[in-house]
Amino acid sequence: MIKFRIYFDKDEEEKWLKEMSNNGWAFRKFFLGFYYFEACEPGEYNYQIDLLDNWGGDKDEYAAFMEDIGVEVVSQWWRWIYLRKKTADGPFEMYTDAQSKIELYSRIKSFFLILLGVEIMCFFIELKAAISSGYYVYGFFTVLIGLICLVVLRVIWKCKWKIEQLKSEEI
Amino acid sequence: MDNTPLTEAVFYILLAVRTPNHGYGIIQEVSEMTKGRVVLGPGTLYGAIQSLLIKKWICLYSEDKESRKKKEYVITPLGKDVFLDEVRRLNELLINAKKLSEEGI
Repeated sequence: MIKFRIYFDKDEEEKWLKEMSNNGWAFRKFFLGFYYFEACEPGEYNYQIDLLDNWGGDKDEYAAFMEDIGVEVVSQWWRWIYLRKKTADGPFEMYTDAQSKIELYSRIKSFFLILLGVEIMCFFIELKAAISSGYYVYGFFTVLIGLICLVVLRVIWKCKWKIEQLKSEEI
Repeated sequence: MDNTPLTEAVFYILLAVRTPNHGYGIIQEVSEMTKGRVVLGPGTLYGAIQSLLIKKWICLYSEDKESRKKKEYVITPLGKDVFLDEVRRLNELLINAKKLSEEGI
């Protein structure tokens, strides 16, 4: 089964993948918003999503480490890694202490900050094109990119909020 | 000391690699030592190991690519020093706490 979804929030995405697994659909592959699922026993797998700390998306060492401790690397999309573990093999949470959670959300935050910078640049390029040409199609893209900027801004804000929560818990 | 206090994860990882140990072994041992209170997540453990390798508090013990054997890590003399500093700090905390309880608080 293939489903199309767009997620900016990895926590929401994780929740959805767990829901799908509970309904008997195991996530296998991701490509540009398309999620490919295979049939599985209901609730067979737990899913987690991680963000690599390098911009090259080099995951060989990371993946070998995860496989060694019984975590399967299911799919990769650039720096984003989809991992799963059989529910029968015990609980599955990638990050278990405040410090490593802070590091994770800081990584996600700076990832989206750079994305936001690029989106804002695109926004002004489209806006300029829309005004100077007067074509509706440029106007449409200007609005679309503007909306994406807002969504990305929301994710950044959420990460910032989570980091602050975790820091206050740590003290 | 700049290095202390250690996070609980780092403290127990250093303890678990006093003899060569691999990722899964570290998780198991820390869980046993704390009676299941501290169960290190794979991401938490991976990040901690990477930063401990950079700080040279631990090093790779064996890396046998041919046999696809699991990577093992072991504490370095520098790591031992840091760990013992932390133990001294924790002892001081305990001794001072005991003084308080002797005063009946």
